[in-house]
Amino acid sequence: MSLVFAAAISHAPGYVAWTDMAPVAQKDSLYAAAETLRQQLDAAKVEALVLFTSEHWANFFLDHISPAVIGRADTYFGPVEPWLKMERTAIPGDAALASEILALAYERDIAPGYAHELEFDHGTMIPLKFLTPNMKTPVTPIVLNALASPQPSPRYCAELGRAVGDVVRASPKRIGLIATGGMSHDPGEVGHGHIDEAFDRRFLAQMAAGDLDALKAYSVADLGAAGAGAIELLNWIALAGAMGRFSGEIVAYEAVVPWATGMGLMTFQPQDAERP
Amino acid sequence: MGGRPGGRSGLKSVSAYELQKAIRRVNREPAAREAFAKAPEDFAAALDLTDDEKAALVARDYGRLYALGVHGLLLRPFSIIHQVSEAAYLDAIRASRTS
Repeated sequence: MSLVFAAAISHAPGYVAWTDMAPVAQKDSLYAAAETLRQQLDAAKVEALVLFTSEHWANFFLDHISPAVIGRADTYFGPVEPWLKMERTAIPGDAALASEILALAYERDIAPGYAHELEFDHGTMIPLKFLTPNMKTPVTPIVLNALASPQPSPRYCAELGRAVGDVVRASPKRIGLIATGGMSHDPGEVGHGHIDEAFDRRFLAQMAAGDLDALKAYSVADLGAAGAGAIELLNWIALAGAMGRFSGEIVAYEAVVPWATGMGLMTFQPQDAERP
Repeated sequence: MGGRPGGRSGLKSVSAYELQKAIRRVNREPAAREAFAKAPEDFAAALDLTDDEKAALVARDYGRLYALGVHGLLLRPFSIIHQVSEAAYLDAIRASRTS
C-alpha cells in the first residue's frame, strides 16, 4: 500500500498574511495543528503528494472552465500573490503520476482537464508552506472548480478521487494526499465574515466518521449555503473518495473571525480494505 | 437568496463576461491598471460593455458592479488596489442587494 498519509487543511490567506490579527489562542492552535500534520507527513516518508486544491482566478477564467484540472508539469511556481508574505519559489511536479491518474480517469469516463503549466496561489501554497516547507516534495495538483457555476458535484469529485486513490494504492511510491480549502467562508461576497460553525462541525464529524455516503449526498448548493468558499469542501470530498474507507481525527477547528473563515485541519487513517 | 452567505456565487451562473474580464486585467496586468487609472473612460470605451456596465466601471461603483454579476474574488481585489477598506466594500455590495 502506497497511500501513506492523508490530511485536510484550510488555506485562508490570513493564516500566513495577517496571522497576528487572529486571537493568540486560535493562532497557536492552528499553528500547532499544522505542525502535527507536518510531523506525520515527515514520519510517513512521503515521496510524492497529490493535492485536491482550489485556485482563485489565478490560472483559469471564464474563457475556459473545467470541473477539474490535473497538473502534469515538471515544475510549478507560486505564490502568485505578492502580498502573501511568501517568497516566490519553484515546486517540483510529478508528471508521470499525473499522467497515470489521467489515464485511469479517462478510462472510467470521468475525463478531467489537464494543464502542463500552472501557477499556485495561496490555496496551494499555504498548505505546502506548512506541510513541506522545503518545497522539495514533488506534487500533483488537482484543481477542482469551486468558483464558477456550475461546479462539479460531490459525486463527481468523489469518483475522481476514487480513481486517484486507486492509482496511488497501486504505485510503488509512498504518496500523501492533501485536501485544501474551506471551511465556511464567503470571501468578497455579501456574507463575508460569516462563519457557520454548526455546518463546519457537522462536516468535520462526517469526515471523522468516514461517512462517504453522507459526504456524497451534499449538493453544491448545500455547501454554498455555508458561504461561497465552503464549496472548496469539494476538495475534501474528493479526498474522501480517494480514501474510500477511512476514519479521521480533527486536529484543530477554529472559527477565526479576523480571517473570516472556519479553519479545519484533519488527518486520516485510510483502511486498506476492499471497497464496495 | 439575497444576503445569505454563498447565495450568489454558489448557486447562480456568473455572467458579465466582458466586464469581469476587464476587471481581471486591471487586477493582474500593470499596463491595464495604468491605462484604467489614467483614463477610465477611454479604457471602458474600448470594451464591449453595456452603458450600465461602462458607467459602473468608470465610477468604480462596487455595489453596481456586484449587482451586475462581478465575482467577489475579482471585485474585492479590484477594490483593494483602489484603497477601498473592507468595511466600505462590504457596505457597498450589501447595499446593492437591498436597493
